[in-house]
Amino acid sequence: MIETDNAGGKMREMVRHTAGRIFLCILLLSTLGMLYVPKYFFQERIFFGCMTLPFLSGILFLLVWLVAYLVYFFFFWPYRH
Amino acid sequence: MSATALTIVSLVIFGGIILWMAVYGYMISSKTSEDYMLAGRGIGIIVMFFFMLFSISSAWTFYGYTGFLYQHGPSYVFFVWGCVAGFAALYMFLGPRLWAVSRLNRFLSPVELLSERYQSKPLRLILAILLLSFIVPYIGIQPRGVGLGFKALCNVPEYIGIGYMTVLMVVLVYMGGMRSTAWVNIFLGFMDTFAFLISLIWIMKILFPGGLAEATRILSEKSPALLTAPGPQNYFNHATISGLFIVGLLAFSWPHVVIGTMTAREKNVFKWLPMLAIVAGGVCFYTIPFIWGSILAPAISNMPGTRVPLVTGTEADFVLQTIVTTYLPKWFATFVLMGVIAAAISTAAVQLMTSAIFVSRDIIHGFFKQDATDKQLIGWTRIAVIGIIICSIIVAVWNPIALALYLTHIAVPGFAQWAPCLAGAILWRRGTAQGAIAGTLTGTAILIIGFVFKLGNAITLVSIIVNLLVYIMVSLFTPKPSPEIQGKFFDEVDEFLSSRN
Repeated sequence: MIETDNAGGKMREMVRHTAGRIFLCILLLSTLGMLYVPKYFFQERIFFGCMTLPFLSGILFLLVWLVAYLVYFFFFWPYRH
Repeated sequence: MSATALTIVSLVIFGGIILWMAVYGYMISSKTSEDYMLAGRGIGIIVMFFFMLFSISSAWTFYGYTGFLYQHGPSYVFFVWGCVAGFAALYMFLGPRLWAVSRLNRFLSPVELLSERYQSKPLRLILAILLLSFIVPYIGIQPRGVGLGFKALCNVPEYIGIGYMTVLMVVLVYMGGMRSTAWVNIFLGFMDTFAFLISLIWIMKILFPGGLAEATRILSEKSPALLTAPGPQNYFNHATISGLFIVGLLAFSWPHVVIGTMTAREKNVFKWLPMLAIVAGGVCFYTIPFIWGSILAPAISNMPGTRVPLVTGTEADFVLQTIVTTYLPKWFATFVLMGVIAAAISTAAVQLMTSAIFVSRDIIHGFFKQDATDKQLIGWTRIAVIGIIICSIIVAVWNPIALALYLTHIAVPGFAQWAPCLAGAILWRRGTAQGAIAGTLTGTAILIIGFVFKLGNAITLVSIIVNLLVYIMVSLFTPKPSPEIQGKFFDEVDEFLSSRN
């Protein structure tokens, strides 16, 4: 899954192979989402009887990171073996 | 047996276990500086998880974090979400390379690594002083927190708790070094987690048979501001919450966590640790203090007939201990205090070890005695342990501050000033010594000006952004690192990581 650069060398840096770029994009977008979501914290929103929005949004954020990391590190990370 | 006698016996047994582990660590160590400072680079996945998770879960988690949530509502959790992502990022992006390059070149300190990468001794001194300046006061806050916990539980003077914890911590680090510190964190981590979790379940069963929904309902009726931003004291706005999240993300640069990456036994540690950090650390462990501080404790203070009325300021730091002492048996309150002590030691010991390495390896060895033997290096590190603990306690007692505020407003912004230099050294070939020095000094100067003139929390972000921009710009305008340095810190690392080791 490692792509090669113009000089024929192995591309091991995340930004230089497609899977790595997708992985970084997902992390970045979810991080930007976390910077945006506090906009909705000023109204009382309770989920499942006891879950406040700051908590729920954080759990969802971590789940996104978890899935992205599992897929990338176990199937595409150049140093996985 | 009276409750007081039981408390004393429990604390003696608890202390005895830690001291025994320190002595055992000393006995099995190979007496080399690499063994003493970096646990012989032999920490595996499970120990590493406990080592790192509980080196960040301090008295702050028990007292400061819950106390802040209790006063200002759930938005403060964004700092923790940022921290979890920051730690995961450290192990995903920087950790493997830091580990590989330090293993290949036998570096004993991350500051030494950066000094070699940038070929700059002034940078070594700047970073060592910078990190020590921010980490030393933080070490002292932990025994002070325990001292106040002793006071709340046993009504004894604060210095008894401070003395108890200091002795345990110093013996642990002095004798056992990094290996004992890491191993003891497993024991301390279990104590910490059980104390937190059992107290939460027990209190809920006694006071809220309807579960968390019942507690939330009480809050919603009596103090709805505690369930939303900006909180009852108008502390939060959108920028504050986002800012806390960004400050949390900078956790990848906490020096006592960064040095942990250099102790790993194998590359696989970095493949698995992010999962443990996110699931076991973020989703499971940190949910417990969140529930305690944002729902349970404020609901108790707001419920009819409460025996723990609302408290504010630094008093709020101890609301959890007060609730447990008020509603649960004394023996269990002692157990919770031991959980707090465990949390405090697990963090402060790693910080103490890290600081002592900066003093011995980066300042004494780096500048005054470069031909030092292994034995001398270990000796200086041990002397540094004693010196640092004395300084840190003096600072903490002289300048008391709420636990939560010290972490998010002083320690983390300070640690973050080496973040561009650290990340750039490992990920960017073009980064230069001039850029690293200029960025670090500029960012730190802005931060200090912000502290002195009380310019608010935004100054943290400003200092880091300016630090980063200066680092990049100056690096681009100065000669790039030599091919030898690029080979040593990038090409060889790539080859090493690609091999099946």
